[in-house]
Amino acid sequence: MIAPGIKRGTAELAVLSVLEVGPLHGYEMARRIEEQTRGSLRFTLASLYPLLYRMEKRGWVRGAWETSSSGRRRRCYRLTPQGKKKLTPIRAEWSELFLALKRLAKVTHA
Amino acid sequence: MRDWRTLVEQRLAGLALERQEKDEVIAELAGHLEEACDGLLRQGMSEEEAVQRAVSQAGNWRDLRHKILSAKRREQVMEKRIRQLWIPGFLTLILSMLFLTVVLKLGLRPRIVSSGPNGIFLYMPWLLSLPFLGALGAYISSRADGSRRTALLASVFPPIALTFAFLFMFPFSATVELITGRPVDFSRVATVLLKDGIGWIVLPAAALLLGGLLAQLLSSAHSSSRDAAIS
Repeated sequence: MIAPGIKRGTAELAVLSVLEVGPLHGYEMARRIEEQTRGSLRFTLASLYPLLYRMEKRGWVRGAWETSSSGRRRRCYRLTPQGKKKLTPIRAEWSELFLALKRLAKVTHA
Repeated sequence: MRDWRTLVEQRLAGLALERQEKDEVIAELAGHLEEACDGLLRQGMSEEEAVQRAVSQAGNWRDLRHKILSAKRREQVMEKRIRQLWIPGFLTLILSMLFLTVVLKLGLRPRIVSSGPNGIFLYMPWLLSLPFLGALGAYISSRADGSRRTALLASVFPPIALTFAFLFMFPFSATVELITGRPVDFSRVATVLLKDGIGWIVLPAAALLLGGLLAQLLSSAHSSSRDAAIS
């Protein structure tokens, strides 16, 4: 498991990355992140929603209520053009960090 | 079936957001928990176990409430307060003062209630105008998404400001006494404040509040008829 301090830094990248594929509501977002990171990144309500609200305020994502085929109302989040623009430098920063760690401590990433 | 909405509402009691914003947060989190519980049920858990697990996965509710509040309000709190309270409040104050000046300039005489030195002066045309100004303050505040309480506060802003000005009389009198060395008759100051307080604070506040309440009533009737039309 990844320590909470490291997770906090990766949360924005994780959310932006899953939203890049398509709009998702909170639960589905958390489920996909957990699935794609094989359980390494797990979001609770307290870690996911405040982050989404902050990102929405910054204009990176936009939430809107939608009704699913089962009749349930869900707030779906979409990546905004501003969010898409933000994803590139965040990815570059993390990539650079992994390379630096690799050189420093022989840490490898997939 | 579990009432997730009530559960989240109870856990997030005290989340100081505007009603609509709070309702949306509650609905969103309740939806998340419902989905989580359904997912666990599909994995074969008993309902009780699934509910417990879903709630525990939510993490610390107090922490969640604090984080949501800080994420939602940090940058907006002052801006909102200005639009919802200070602008409509000061507008009501300025307009009521302007109208009073006009009444005085026109030479309209006040109605004096009770005789003697403690008579209360009532400027009836001015008092009659206040419900409209109170309604205007409440309307502007509501338009800026102000809560019911904030809208009513904006409508009675002039007497609140005046109350503070009146209360300032005591420290002011005490300072005058200290500087000049001449004793100030505080019982006289209190009598004047009480007498003027009725004509300048209590009655205007009631008139403004009446307007504010009527505006609220009209706006809620309007919104409920609009909702009915939509559904």
